[in-house]
Parts: sequence; C-alpha cells; structure tokens
Amino acid sequence: MSDLAATATDTRPAADTPPRAPRRPRRKHVTTAVWIVCLVVFTAVVLYPLVWMGFASFKPNHEFGSNSGLLPDDATIDNYVKVLEGVAGIPLSRFFLNSLILAVGSVIGIVISASMAAYAFARIAFRGRGLFFTVMIATLLLPFHVLIIPQYMIYRNLGLVDTFVPLLAGKFLATEAFFVFLMVQFIRNLPRDLDEAARIDGCGHPRIYVMITLPLIKPALITSSIFAFIWSWNDFLGPLLYLNSPEKYPLPLALRIFNDQTSVSDYGATIAVSVLALLPVLLFFMIFQRFLVEGVATQGLKG
Amino acid sequence: MVRTFTRRSAMAGAGVLATAALVLSACGSDDSNDGDAGGGDSAAQGFDPNEEVTLNFTWWGNDDRAERYNQLIEAFNEEYPNITINGTFTDFPAYWEKRQTEAAGGGLPDVWQFSDSYLRQYGESDLLLDLGPYDEHIDFSAFDDGLLQTGQLEGTQYSLPTGYSAWAVFQNDDLLTELGVEPYEGGTDHATYVDWMADVTDAGDGSVYGGSDYTQRIQGLEIILRQQGKNLYTEDGQLGFTEDELRDYWNSTADVRDGVTVPQSQLEEIMPISGFGGNLTASEMSWSNFIGGYLADSGASSITIAAPPTENPDAKDLYRQAGLQMAISKSTEHPEAAALFLDFVVNSEQAGEIFGTTLGFPASSTKLAGATLEGPDAQVADYLDSVADRIGDAPPVPVDGYGSLEQTFWDLGKAIGLGAISVDDAVRDFFDEASVVLG
Repeated sequence: MSDLAATATDTRPAADTPPRAPRRPRRKHVTTAVWIVCLVVFTAVVLYPLVWMGFASFKPNHEFGSNSGLLPDDATIDNYVKVLEGVAGIPLSRFFLNSLILAVGSVIGIVISASMAAYAFARIAFRGRGLFFTVMIATLLLPFHVLIIPQYMIYRNLGLVDTFVPLLAGKFLATEAFFVFLMVQFIRNLPRDLDEAARIDGCGHPRIYVMITLPLIKPALITSSIFAFIWSWNDFLGPLLYLNSPEKYPLPLALRIFNDQTSVSDYGATIAVSVLALLPVLLFFMIFQRFLVEGVATQGLKG
Repeated sequence: MVRTFTRRSAMAGAGVLATAALVLSACGSDDSNDGDAGGGDSAAQGFDPNEEVTLNFTWWGNDDRAERYNQLIEAFNEEYPNITINGTFTDFPAYWEKRQTEAAGGGLPDVWQFSDSYLRQYGESDLLLDLGPYDEHIDFSAFDDGLLQTGQLEGTQYSLPTGYSAWAVFQNDDLLTELGVEPYEGGTDHATYVDWMADVTDAGDGSVYGGSDYTQRIQGLEIILRQQGKNLYTEDGQLGFTEDELRDYWNSTADVRDGVTVPQSQLEEIMPISGFGGNLTASEMSWSNFIGGYLADSGASSITIAAPPTENPDAKDLYRQAGLQMAISKSTEHPEAAALFLDFVVNSEQAGEIFGTTLGFPASSTKLAGATLEGPDAQVADYLDSVADRIGDAPPVPVDGYGSLEQTFWDLGKAIGLGAISVDDAVRDFFDEASVVLG
C-alpha cells in the first residue's frame, strides 16, 4: 500500500520537472562543502578555549585582567620557567611522577581486578550471583560523598593515610562497578562454545579466563584503561583527602597552589602548569584513540 | 564521569560533607574529650622540653607562602631541634573540604592556619584546643585585648591572629597620572567620593572608570551600620539590619551605577580578577592586605591607600579584621609542643622578618618588631596609623555560615549591576537566604 502511494506521488511531478540526474553530483559537492565549513566553525568554537589557554600561558601575570584576547601583548616564557622550578623546593617533575604512578597503578588495578570480577559474574554460576550483581550495580547509585568519611576513617585506622594505598586499593579490588559492568556485558556476548571447547580440552576457570576471555575482551580492556587513566589523572578530591605530604601530591593538587585567591594569584603560572598537565593526557588519548573508538564500536555491535 | 572524584563533584559535595562532618564530629568528639581530659593534665605536668616530637602543621596559600613557612620551620628547628614539623599546604577551598573530612574522621593536624569565619563551627564542635592553659608556652601579652577577642568564643581563646587588615580605598597611581586626576583624599562623605569617581570616569572616556559599585560588598553596609553603633550581626547570631536598611543601601547608588562606576558586564569578562586588578577602574574598596595582590594583578608601579568614605568622621566605623589565625586541634597528642610552635608562628621576630605583612599586618607586637616594613608594607602601616581614630572594637564572632552570606550579598550586588534583578527582589532573596543559613 505504501508502495502504491509512493509511486503515485512520484509519477505525477516527474512529468512536469526536467530530469535532475546531471545536477545531483554538484549539489552533493555543495552540501559537503557546507557541512565541512559548519564542522570547522563548530570545532573552532569548541577548541577556542584550549587554543586560548595555549597562548595565554605566554602572557605575563598582570596581563590577565587587561587583555582577554587571544594573543599576548608582551609574550614571555617566564611562566614556564617559574612552574618548572616547582613549589616550595619540590620540582614539578615530582608531581608528574606521582600523577603517573597513580594513573598507571589505577589502569593495572582496574584491568586485572575488574576483568576477573566480570568473568566470575558472567561465567561462573555461584550461589547468590544475581544478588551480588545487583548489589554491585547498586553501588553505582551511591553518591561518592556518602562514602568519603567512613572510607577515610577506615584508612586512617589502618594507618594508611598519606600513602598511595587508599587511592589504589579500591582499584585493585574491583570496586569500580562501572568497569566491572562494562566487562560483564562484554563477556556475556562472547559465544559460550569457546569456553566449552576449552573445558573439553581440560581447561579450568583460571585458564579459560587467561587464554580465552582476556584476549577476546581486549576492546573493553582498552576502553577501561583509557577511562581509568584519564579519571585518575584528573582526580582531585581523592588525593586531597588522603595525601598530606606535598612531595606526594599529584598534579591537580599542585596546580592549585599557584592560584590562591586569598593572597596573590599567579594566573600565568596556573595556565602554564595546566598546559603541561594536559599534555600527557592528550598524548595518551591520541595514541589510544583509535582503540577507544574500536572498543566502543565493537561494544555497540555486541550490545 | 561516573565514579571519579572530580573537582566539580568535590564542590557539589562540600555542602553534604559539611553537614555530615558536623553530625559525625559530634559523635567523635566525645572520645577525644575523654582522651584529652586525662592525657592533657598528665602531659602538662610531665612535659619534657627535649622529647622528640613530630607535629603536623598545615596552611592554605600559594607557592610564595609555602616557601616562607618552610623558612619559618627551619628557624623554629634551630631553637627546638627535637620538634619535627611536617608542613603541608593546599588552596583555600580545598583546605576546608579536607578539614571537614578530618574533623569527622579524625586526623586533624596538630597546628593549623585558621580563619575566624570558622571559629563558631569548629569551636562549638569542641575540636579546638583551649589555648588559655598554655600561657607558659604562648605569650598572650603581645596582643592587645581587641585582637585577642578575634580568636575567642564565649571567653575561650581558641586561636590567635597572625595579622589583621582594615577596610580601605585603593587607587591606581599610574592610571590617575595618565588621566590627570588628583587622587581621592579619603574619609570624605560618600557624595564626594562619587563625584571624584565621576571625574575619573569622564576623563577615562570609556576605557577607565572611577571605581566599581561599592554597595556590592557587605563591608560597605557594615561601615554604615557601625557609624550608627550597630553591626552586621548581633551577639546572638542574628542579622543586625532590616530589609529597609538593605533596600536603602542598594538604592543609594542607583544613579552611580548608571554611568559612573564600571559596568558589571565588563567586570564579568575579567573574573576572577577585579576591575581594579584589571586596570578597568582607578579605585576599589577592599581589605588593606590586598595591596600585594592588586600590585601583581594590575602591574601598576604604585598604589595609594585612602580611608573609606564616611558620613560621620568621628564614628568608630572601621575595625581590625583578623581573619587569618592559628589554632591547635584538641586531639593533638603534644599540646605543649604545638603551643610552642604556634607561639613561634604568631609571636616570634623571625616570623615578622620572614612573613612581613603577607599574613596580614602583624597582630603581635613582638612579631611586628621583627618585621621590616618597606614599600607597600610601610604604606599599609601608615594607612593603619592614619585611621587609628576610626578603628573601633571588632564585631562579634561571625555567625556560622557568614562566609556564604557574604558571597550571596556580593552575588546579588552583581546581579543588580547587571540589571538581572530589581533591588526589591534582591533584598527579599538575601533575607530568604539568611533565614535558611541562620536557622
């Protein structure tokens, strides 16, 4: 019926209008050009703050109030010189190193623990699996702020405040339900036949997990790694609460020392250190970006 | 995004955290009470000045302050090599988030930089050490009574000020020379100040303005109230002014906002730098210790400080604002050593020498003696001298939540400047907020 209607409406104007076929390619070109221009304009708008930040890092401090434009009037690299000297005798490289230890530690912890937990939820029929799975998902709904104080008390009583342990322990214990859930969904979509074939060949759960499951969920592992790295790199509240010694601070804490509203704020240094802090994440993302897209795409197909 | 501790979620959670912290600290403080009642007394008798002790000490501030504190700790260790000080630091908002968690979960530092706006909150929750009994280690006589009171809550000395400041009018000398306008003399009535601002705005021809709308700041209202013998808030923690008084105050500059002071939209563009710091205005009112920040932000070669306008030059409308204090946690295991260090920070000549006026104009006479007052520091000293007759008693200890009320007041003032809200609506909003905050 719809076919009939379509042909009916199609035939009538076709008689009046001249054939369109030769025009079509040109119109396509025009459309493409308009699209590209639009996209470039939008990208420029979105990227402007980042570009502004890059240029602003060369502005002397007193220019921040009077010159909000893109280019510095009086370009200087003093901001970078000052920032590289560090804070109160602690070199900037120390803060970078701390951030890196925490970020890499988080990635390792999450990849190992979340995938193991996910394997158990997806493949092992233990008693209360449904209940535990629900409870795990429920922790996603729990606001983080409810946990701050009890968690702090636990780590304090264990004498672990001012170490990296509180910031990494959770990552190694699969408490990041988001990643566990992501991997569970991924594993559930893998054909069970592979597991069963391995079982017939004599594999137990550990071997199936290592030999079969892990290689197959690589896209999910990479997605998780990227998120874990970026989240840890940008994490502010966790290090703030658990670290006391300035020489253990990661970048987000060190960054704010240059910007103190109660005395003198060095906006130039703040921006310069922000640029430096951004670079590793940017690099990490550029390198792993294609895996990220791949991972998301595969998940989309399977889910 | 979902489960990380981002900064935004940190800010969003601060409110929840503050409430939780107070509830929990109420439970927690019982234990620490018992512990201290026994421990404190016996320690006072058995204090060994040569005992090896480690103290945690924390402050907020920038890299410059961190270097100065490190120097101070070194100087302290020359006198007391047996007391190790672990110094840590963050910025101001993060500092209080961390303290809230520690207050609830235990683990407050032994000695910490403190602010009078938190005195009620931490003092009433019984988290601070009463400094009174430690007069053997802390020299209270270096402070006059008015300054001692800034760290007292119902007669108990919980903290001591490192320095103070007074409300002032700042002027950018470079801009005024450029425009050929004489500096504002200070201490006149408001109409004269407004006329002066209008002269600057005319000369500035759209690029520089005489000043910003001073009714945006609650301190302007405070001065007017103090000229009538009142304060922003009463001893029992209520607001000290009526809706009509606030309405009159905000309406008093209705004409000034229209063409004399810098348009609020221009100020929004350069946030967080103020109009004065951004060289948009030739004058601005603020606390006298802002001179360093203003010099850095504006790049001006010199800044003049003048007395704020007043309708009644004989009134004691100004006061010494001693916001920056030092306190000791009640849970400290080494109250005597902590008291020695606190004394060194607030009182020692070395502290005066190392910090100058960067923690406020030295409140203690011994610290002041050690400070070399040069350049801007000397200007602040001269200014404080010049307004000595106008300085009266400090207002009552700020009400719990004063910081947020002050900010609300400022935000509403800006909204009026933008034309986003009428004065009547702003007055209603402020009193609604105040009724929630003050309970």
